[in-house]
Amino acid sequence: MKMTTVQFSEETYKKIKELVTHYPEGKQKSALIPVLHIVQAESDGWLDVPVMDHVAETLGILPVEVYEVASFYSMFNLNPVGKYVLEVCQTGPCMLSGSDKIINHIKEKLNIQAGETTPDGLFTLKPAECLGACGYAPMMQLGKTYRENLTIEKVDELLEELKKLA
Amino acid sequence: MGETRLLLKHANVPGIRHYDAYREHDGYKSVEKAFTMTPEQILEEVKTSGLRGRGGAGFPTGMKWSFLAKPEGVPRHLVVNADESEPGTFKDRYLMEFIPHLLIEGMIVSSYCLGSNASYIYIRGEYAWIAEILEEAIAEAKANGWLGKDIKGTGFDCEIYVQRGAGAYICGEETALLESLEGKRGNPRIKPPFPAVKGVWGRPTVVNNVESIAAVVPIIMMTGAEYAKIGVGRSTGTKLISACGNINKPGVYEIDMTQTVEEFIYSDEFCGGIPNGKRLKACIPGGSSVPILPANLLLTTAEGNPRYMNYESLADGGFATGTMMGSGGFIVLDEDQDVVYHTYTLARFYRHESCGQCSPCREGTGWMEKILKRIDEGQGKMSDIDLLWDIQRKIEGNTICPLGDAAAWPVAAAIRHFRDEFEWHVLNPDECLTRNYGLAGYADPLEIKEQA
Repeated sequence: MKMTTVQFSEETYKKIKELVTHYPEGKQKSALIPVLHIVQAESDGWLDVPVMDHVAETLGILPVEVYEVASFYSMFNLNPVGKYVLEVCQTGPCMLSGSDKIINHIKEKLNIQAGETTPDGLFTLKPAECLGACGYAPMMQLGKTYRENLTIEKVDELLEELKKLA
Repeated sequence: MGETRLLLKHANVPGIRHYDAYREHDGYKSVEKAFTMTPEQILEEVKTSGLRGRGGAGFPTGMKWSFLAKPEGVPRHLVVNADESEPGTFKDRYLMEFIPHLLIEGMIVSSYCLGSNASYIYIRGEYAWIAEILEEAIAEAKANGWLGKDIKGTGFDCEIYVQRGAGAYICGEETALLESLEGKRGNPRIKPPFPAVKGVWGRPTVVNNVESIAAVVPIIMMTGAEYAKIGVGRSTGTKLISACGNINKPGVYEIDMTQTVEEFIYSDEFCGGIPNGKRLKACIPGGSSVPILPANLLLTTAEGNPRYMNYESLADGGFATGTMMGSGGFIVLDEDQDVVYHTYTLARFYRHESCGQCSPCREGTGWMEKILKRIDEGQGKMSDIDLLWDIQRKIEGNTICPLGDAAAWPVAAAIRHFRDEFEWHVLNPDECLTRNYGLAGYADPLEIKEQA
């Protein structure tokens, strides 16, 4: 295997070392999904091939074992995304509570389609399937948090707030 | 009758998320009691309680535990399924977010009974902040001697680890969950062997839902026999119901399963009725996979008896006129909702979540989504309705795991009970773009009450 050139933070290597202790000897591959979460967060929110190759090297598994997992799970992005990924749930219960209106409003307001990123690289709209917040619909996932009981006004406020933060 | 709280009894106590408040409210007493019992005695209590798996399938938990293989020298594991992803279901999230220690306590008792020295909580990746809450609770439990080596001098060792998934409904299927826990794609395994014999890393494993494991705490405290007295018939104990959709009070309710569906929807103690004086059109009472019922069949069985919020009553009439308790994800549709469009959103969900292993599911879910979309958009043909029926029938029962069935049932039930709404879309291609079919013949049988 060729040595990869990507380096993670010291903190990440430490965390990976700790994660591996959760599983039996020789089963360090079990740490793959938690590790991908960590490295995606420190790689601008997406997983480039060299990053995945370095994960494989660090865990002592084949690169293809990383690719097949990264491409299976919807939380891993294999292409660049905006600084803020707006993951608006659109499944049945959210639809009943008006999620279509929220998605359409974001599309108009940011002038992007589902899956697209604004030209300034700030926002990506990623319609999502059921996020387990059906009683607090409509809602979106934003990073590690949920924004629930959304209204058009709340979405506008949120977008303004995020623009200021950026 | 209102809520019966065994699990959520202390959910509103300030600070209950943390150890001190939890311990003050009888926290970890079931562990103390369990340590005076043998694992066999604990298993007997769980069996006697009649507890049925709270994830959706309703399989008796005690029986599942009794299947666990115990070969000499091979470690065993308990894995808690917190991959709550069934549309309409958000009960486990509530429990873990507000009383995380209840799950940890139940896991210690269960791990002791099953002989698991390393137990795992597999939580859906999107619940990132809840994973942190659980990790904090585990650290507190450990600091107070409830986890680690030789717990309270019993010689029993136990560690609990939280593992986040990364967005895949299929990982709620127990063998897919185990694959995911091993760092692989969530492709369900062919059974047998069952996880009880060959689970995670080839070791005997019990996989249980969050709510099932939390219920072990009251079962040990009150005894299985007393727990079995709550509820009705084979629906013992309490069940968490997450209610959503067109209701006044969405949220998580703990019920003893003696309420009628009508009471659950209209009583102020539960859903509080339907907003804006709208009428009930339909409901999916157990998570998106279970059959949708029109109001009349939801509130009363085909024989005209009131329908109750329990496993048997909801299933009364089979799939012809009944439905299922499922995961307790209770989704209410009012008169303004379009059953065709709603079914389309569910079909899109299942197409998105199919792992792609079995052709009937991989291909069929995509076909169903496409056909439903064109019917919804006024571009369907009459024969599309029969085609949909045919596809769902060919998916059901022909896949490795139940996702195929879960994708087929909502489509089947929608056609079974709302066929005329599908036909209306086909016959009125322009009108269906501007208005919904509405209540039509599906009015609930209740008298219209004057709105205050």
